[in-house]
Amino acid sequence: MRSPRPAFLWLLEKEWRELLASRAWWVLLLGMGPLVGVSFISSVRTYAEVSGLNGTAAGVGEALSPLTGVWAPTFSACELAAVFLLPFVAIRLVAGDRQSGALKLELQQGISPLGRIAAKALVLLAGWMVAMLPPLGATLLWVSYGGSLYPPELIALTLGHALNAGLTIGLAAAMAAISEHPSTAAILTLGATVGTWIVSFFGAVQGGWWERAAGFTPAAMVAEFQHGLLRLDTVLIALVLIAAGLGLAAVWMRLGTRVKRRVYESVGIGALAAGAVFACTNARASWDLSENRGNSFPAADERALRQIQAPLRIEAHLAPEDPRRSDLERHALSKLRRVMPKLQVTYVSATSIGLFEQTGAAYGEIRYDLGGRKTVSRVTTAEGVLEAVYSLAGIMPPAENDEAAFRGHPLAVTAKGAGSLFYGFWPGLTLACGILIRRRRK
Amino acid sequence: MLFEVKGLSKRFGRIAALADVGFHVRSGEVLGLIGPNGAGKSTLFDCLGGVLSPDSGTTTAAGKPVGPRERRSLLFYLPDGIAPWPEQSVRWALEFTIGFLGGRAELHQEVIQQLGLEELLRQSMGTLSKGQRKRALLAIGLLTPQPALLIDEPFEGLDLRQARDIAAAFRVHVARGRTLFLSIHQIADAARFCDRFVLLSGGRVRGEGTVPELAALAGSGGGLEEVFLALT
Repeated sequence: MRSPRPAFLWLLEKEWRELLASRAWWVLLLGMGPLVGVSFISSVRTYAEVSGLNGTAAGVGEALSPLTGVWAPTFSACELAAVFLLPFVAIRLVAGDRQSGALKLELQQGISPLGRIAAKALVLLAGWMVAMLPPLGATLLWVSYGGSLYPPELIALTLGHALNAGLTIGLAAAMAAISEHPSTAAILTLGATVGTWIVSFFGAVQGGWWERAAGFTPAAMVAEFQHGLLRLDTVLIALVLIAAGLGLAAVWMRLGTRVKRRVYESVGIGALAAGAVFACTNARASWDLSENRGNSFPAADERALRQIQAPLRIEAHLAPEDPRRSDLERHALSKLRRVMPKLQVTYVSATSIGLFEQTGAAYGEIRYDLGGRKTVSRVTTAEGVLEAVYSLAGIMPPAENDEAAFRGHPLAVTAKGAGSLFYGFWPGLTLACGILIRRRRK
Repeated sequence: MLFEVKGLSKRFGRIAALADVGFHVRSGEVLGLIGPNGAGKSTLFDCLGGVLSPDSGTTTAAGKPVGPRERRSLLFYLPDGIAPWPEQSVRWALEFTIGFLGGRAELHQEVIQQLGLEELLRQSMGTLSKGQRKRALLAIGLLTPQPALLIDEPFEGLDLRQARDIAAAFRVHVARGRTLFLSIHQIADAARFCDRFVLLSGGRVRGEGTVPELAALAGSGGGLEEVFLALT
C-alpha cells in the first residue's frame, strides 16, 4: 500500500523539518532582529534630523524619499544576513544529507535530482521569507508613526533581496554538493562572495569590462533595487545564475554517476548559463518603481527623447575614479539608457584616477555623436547632457513642470517601540519558538 | 534466480577494488557476502545499490539488463555506518520510509516489534546508540518494498541476543519471499544465518555456494571458517 501523498511533498516536509532542526536558521532569525533594529532606528533618526527634528532647519528634507532614507538602509540588514548567515543554512540543508548518509537512502527512491534540489530551494526560500519578517515589521512601525509607504518601492526592495538570497542559495547549494565537506563548501561560498567584491573593486578602479561585470554582481543588483529600479536583464540574469547553481547542485548530488560525466554536465551547465546570461544582457526593459522617479528623467523629457530615432554615441574622457564620471553615469547616462536603447557609451582614460590627465586638453570632454552630428561638452549633470542631446537632435527642450516634481515625505519622529520590538520581542519570540519546536519534536 | 552480476570491476586510481566480480542471487534466499577487511564487500554493495558507479560489469534480472529504473524496483541497499536524519525521531524515519521510499505500511507495527523499537520511537535518530541505530536502520530496510534487500554489516553493534532475534525476524521476511543479501565480516555470524555465500577477497570472487560446496572448492573439510582461511 503506497502513500497517497506524492514523494515530492514528503521531501518538502522532510526539508522543512530539517530546516526547523537547523541551528543555523534559528541563529539567522535571531540575528535579523537586532540587525534590522540598528538599521531602522538609526535611519529613522537620521531621517528625522534631516526632516527638521531637534532644531534643524525644517524643510531641509522636503525632498526626502523614505526609500532611500529608511527602507534601503533597513533592508540592508537582509544583505548582510544573505552574505554571512544564509550560506550556512543552505550548506547545512544540502550537505547534511550527504554527511549523515541519508542521501544514499533517499537517492534509491528515484525522484529526479532536480526535484530534490527544488524541494531544498523552496524550503530555503520559505525560511528566508520568515527571516524577512523583521524588516517587513519595520514597515508597519513606520506606517504607525504616520510615515509614507509607497508599495511599488517595497515590492522592488523585497524582490531584490529575495533574488539576492536566491543567488546565495544557488551558490551555496552548488558548493555544498560539489565539495566533500560542509566547511569546504562554506569557504568556497564566502570565497565566491569575496570574489564579487573584488570584481566590484576592479570595476571601480579599472573600468571597462570589469565595470560591466561589476554591474551584475549581487551587491550591484541589490543597489539597483534599493533605488527602486527594476531591470529585466538584472532579474533574468539573477534567475539564470540561481538556476545554474541549483542545476550544478543537482548534478553533483547524483552519487552513483561517474565523476567524469558530472564534470561534463557541469561544463554544459556553465556554457548554457554563460550563453543565457549573454542573451539576457540584451533585454532592455526596465521600470522605475521609485516614487520620486529617481531613475528617470522627467516624463516630458522622456517623451521628447523617445522621438529621437538616430543612434547616439557618447565618448566620455573621464577616468573610472573621477567623481564626475560617477555623477555622469548615475544622474544622466543610466537614465538616458532607459529611454534611448540605441545609446552607446564609451569611456576613455589612460589612468584609473585621472589625476595626471587633467592637463590634457581632451580630458573631461564628453563627445556626442547623434547620427553624424557632433558636439562636445564638459557638463556632467542631467540637465547638461539633455541640453547637448536636444541641441544635436534639433528639439526644443520641454517646459519644466514643477507640479510633477516629487516633494518628499519629511517625517520628524523617533523610532518609538522599535528597540523593544527588534531587541526584545523578536529575539524572545525566536528563542521561544526554537525551544518549543525542538521540545515538541522529542 | 533473482538477478545475476557479471564482470563487475571498480578501480580507485591504481587500486583495483573489484575485479571481474560475478555471482548470482536466488529468489528467497539469505546470501552472505563474506571476506576479509578490504576485500571490497562495501564497494560491491555500493556499486549494486547505485551509490557508486562501477567501471564495468552488468547486472541482469530475467535475462534483461538492470538499469537505474529497474534497480529501484529490484533491490534496496542499506549501507553500513550511516546515521540518517539525526534530528528526526525514529517514528518519523519509519513513516518517511513508508511515505517517501514507498515502504509497506502493513508491516509497520510488526517490524517495530520484531526489532524492539517500541521504546525508541520518540528518540531522535542522532541520539541512538550504535546498536539502537542499527536496529532502526534494519527496520527501514525491512519496510522497503523491493524483493531484494542488501544490508552491509547487519549485525554490527548488536549483542548476541539481539543478533539472534533479528536473524529470526529476517527469516520471517525471507519466508514471505524476500531475498536478503548480507555483507558480514564475522564468519561465525554468517555461518549461522546465511543459506549460501559469496566469498570475496582482494576484489575477486574466490567461491560461491553453500558451505559444503565451498569446502569442496577449497579442498578442505570442516566449517565456513576453515573454508574462509583456505580460500582467502
